[in-house]
Amino acid sequence: MLDFFTIFSKGGIVLWCFQGTGVTESFTGPVNALIRSVILQERSGNNSYSHDALSLKYKLDNEFELVFVVGFQKILTLTYVDKFIDDVQLHFRDRYKNELEQKGALALLNSHFAFEDDFKMLLREAEESSKARGPTSMRSFNASLKSQKTVKSMIETKGGDKGKEQGGKKNKNAKKEGKAPAAEPVKGEKAKAPTSAQKTEENGNQGLTQEEIIQKKREEFIRKRMGAPVEKPSKSPKPVKEKPKGKEKRVWTLGGSSTKELDYSQSNGNGAHAAGDQGLDAQADPVCACWGAFGGMFGMLKGLVGSKSLSQEDMEPVLDKMRDHLIAKNVAAEIASQLCDSVAKKLEGKVMGTFTTVASTVKGALQDSLVQILQPKRRVDILRDVLEARSQRRPFVITFCGVNGVGKSTNLAKISFWLIENGFTVLIAACDTFRAGAVEQLRTHQRRLNSLHPPQDHGGRPIVQLYEKGYGKDAAGIAMEAIAYARNQAFDVVLVDTAGRMQDNTPLMTALAKLIAVNMPDLVLFVGEALVGNEAVDQLVKFNQALADHSMSDKPRLIDGIVLTKFDTIDDKVGAAISMTYITGQPIVFVGTGQTYNDLRSLNARAVVGALMKA
Amino acid sequence: EERRRVLSEVTVADMATEPGINMEATIDARENPFEPYLDALKKVLEDQDPIFMIGIVVSLAVVVITVVFLKYILSRKTVQSAVLLVGLCDSGKTLLFSRLLSGKFKKTQTSITDSSAPYKAKNERGSSWILIDLPGHDSLRPQYVEKFKSAARAMVFVVDSAIFQKEVRDVAEFLYFLLTDSVVSRNVPSLIVACNKQDITMAKSAKLIRQQLEKEMNTLRVTRSAALSAQDGSAGASVHLGKKGKDFEFSQLPMKVEFLECSARGSKGEDGEADIASLEKSLALL
Repeated sequence: MLDFFTIFSKGGIVLWCFQGTGVTESFTGPVNALIRSVILQERSGNNSYSHDALSLKYKLDNEFELVFVVGFQKILTLTYVDKFIDDVQLHFRDRYKNELEQKGALALLNSHFAFEDDFKMLLREAEESSKARGPTSMRSFNASLKSQKTVKSMIETKGGDKGKEQGGKKNKNAKKEGKAPAAEPVKGEKAKAPTSAQKTEENGNQGLTQEEIIQKKREEFIRKRMGAPVEKPSKSPKPVKEKPKGKEKRVWTLGGSSTKELDYSQSNGNGAHAAGDQGLDAQADPVCACWGAFGGMFGMLKGLVGSKSLSQEDMEPVLDKMRDHLIAKNVAAEIASQLCDSVAKKLEGKVMGTFTTVASTVKGALQDSLVQILQPKRRVDILRDVLEARSQRRPFVITFCGVNGVGKSTNLAKISFWLIENGFTVLIAACDTFRAGAVEQLRTHQRRLNSLHPPQDHGGRPIVQLYEKGYGKDAAGIAMEAIAYARNQAFDVVLVDTAGRMQDNTPLMTALAKLIAVNMPDLVLFVGEALVGNEAVDQLVKFNQALADHSMSDKPRLIDGIVLTKFDTIDDKVGAAISMTYITGQPIVFVGTGQTYNDLRSLNARAVVGALMKA
Repeated sequence: EERRRVLSEVTVADMATEPGINMEATIDARENPFEPYLDALKKVLEDQDPIFMIGIVVSLAVVVITVVFLKYILSRKTVQSAVLLVGLCDSGKTLLFSRLLSGKFKKTQTSITDSSAPYKAKNERGSSWILIDLPGHDSLRPQYVEKFKSAARAMVFVVDSAIFQKEVRDVAEFLYFLLTDSVVSRNVPSLIVACNKQDITMAKSAKLIRQQLEKEMNTLRVTRSAALSAQDGSAGASVHLGKKGKDFEFSQLPMKVEFLECSARGSKGEDGEADIASLEKSLALL
């Protein structure tokens, strides 16, 4: 029932593949999509991914640099797939250990991996094991407890009929007590026996003789000493009158008698020292103490030299420290934990070289992942795109959106300054029709920019113009008119300024989505400030969600790029850059570092990661 | 200094006045200050165990030899001995890698890491160097180029000829990034632009690709130099490609640039041979 199964090296060569019967489409496309969206975007924390109608599960083998991917239809829920991949991985590794261990790609290219028979056998085993655990059959009515209750006992009446109730209960409990041997440890379902034994005590005291009461109490006592059973909250109706008399001391599973379970000292033993200490602990006591110290040192050295493969436990403390470090540097908390999980997945089973510690390996891997996240996944060259639009005789439209007060209008002015420095004509569309003074602010910027680049230099035409229609009007309409005006007047770039809005404000988010869906800008830039912490995740997710929901087309326009503002206010707590690029997968196009026109920069991934990893 | 001058005058005067005896005297006098030290040293050395002495001498010799050896090895590493296969994602680098090394057709996926293997060139000398296949995905490209650029003696830039028209700006940007890199412009490795996927009917010819790239690089020179500087102040590449004032042409570059056509898949599909004869010939000339 699997659609396909591939084994390929991380260098891209497919070692072995299997295509299910009746499947005609090639699996290259879905697997490539898996690689690009999951592995390369450091989302390898959870190991499943869905692409169109297929659901893909994968496993990384970091020792031999292999990837195992299985694909099946999304509508099927196959329970054996996880274990199956693990089995296949172990089998493949064991069988082709020699070829895989050789360095260089020649061995992989030249050897032929005839894995079909093994694979079919493993698949058969997996399918059979999943079938073996059939659905649990329901109990028949006769086997249940309800059939043993008398009808009368289930009738709840107030006051008078207590005797009948108790009588009925006594019958039921007498039967049960007959079955339960006193010497056995009491099981869960028989935990009801002591409770019901107590109730018999409470309810049936009148009916029993003294000896029988004593006998019952003795049996109870023995049962309690045997197993310390968990008291189930009894579901059968208890007469309220008897409650104070019968209130028993509650017995907790971990409480009272022994403190053995509370001793956690063994589980915290040092892994590195254990190896050294175990051999040396056998020595005589007076020597033991000082040998113990030496053992610790040897253990550390042993950890440095020689090839050791990384396991989850080795990496756990280092990853925790790194996670806290990232959070301290203003990376959003869930992003930091997802990143650390992804790095753990990437390093699990990897063999370390000599003289490399776990910490250095993990830090190196984390640094590589961070640089990879910050690298743009597409070409970012706005000037080139503007030239392209100019050659097609249409204006290049950039829309700025974001929450309140992040610096949209300021950075819009900076970007228009940069554009006019490079000789492009700019039209600013004032689609912020809500905030008081928004239009005046843009008019002031326009005047200043025109005075810096006077119209005389550009053939008598002002290089920056403002298109505004006052306050209170529909922003999407103003944007559409502005773009049409720009096309008529042959402007190169249109910068659309929108009002700031909180991501939870549904009507405003709808309005923004309508503006973008109707006008189809070339670039939708989300303006976010570098000071934001965990909020960045919420803002971006909700903005993208709103844009996707309210667009009518199949391919909705989402956020295409990020402008990171107020970068000069953070010292080296540059984590917001990571949060934003991780969530959207889009590059940071501009970085705002101040309030003058020259304070516009591009992002240098290495410098940001260096500042982030600096202690 | 005065004392020294006086002393030297004295010795010269001595030598001048009584050459024979005083020469010896001065020689003795000069040796004398060192004599006690030499004697003491000789005594100390004789006191020691001769085996110990031999041990010290041997260890010093070993250290010296190791240092010389290491220097030799380290200097050898920086010698360019690798040919890099670079290009955009999905341009056919990994398949080309497989064809060049083993001649076989292999299914490929997007590479996440580099692969390297020694390659024996098809020329009389039988020279062999290392062929390295770098991943082409945008987020991995810069790191891997950074890692391997100093070891490159030649770069094979693989271009997907079939979808070149759509991708021309991306191809040109990557090529610009490679050519303006400081290490590359210093080492000047030769560049072979392999226009791959010629088996597809819509594939563009190498000549057309060359012309389009030249036009695009011309524009890129302007836009890239006007790009914003990075936030920590480091500016972009300051290497200017080609000649100022004139349109960009590949012949203006300091390195040898060659455009050729090839098809890694081959015209006969998976089982046939690949059409990489011209590529192999160029590689043999390296």
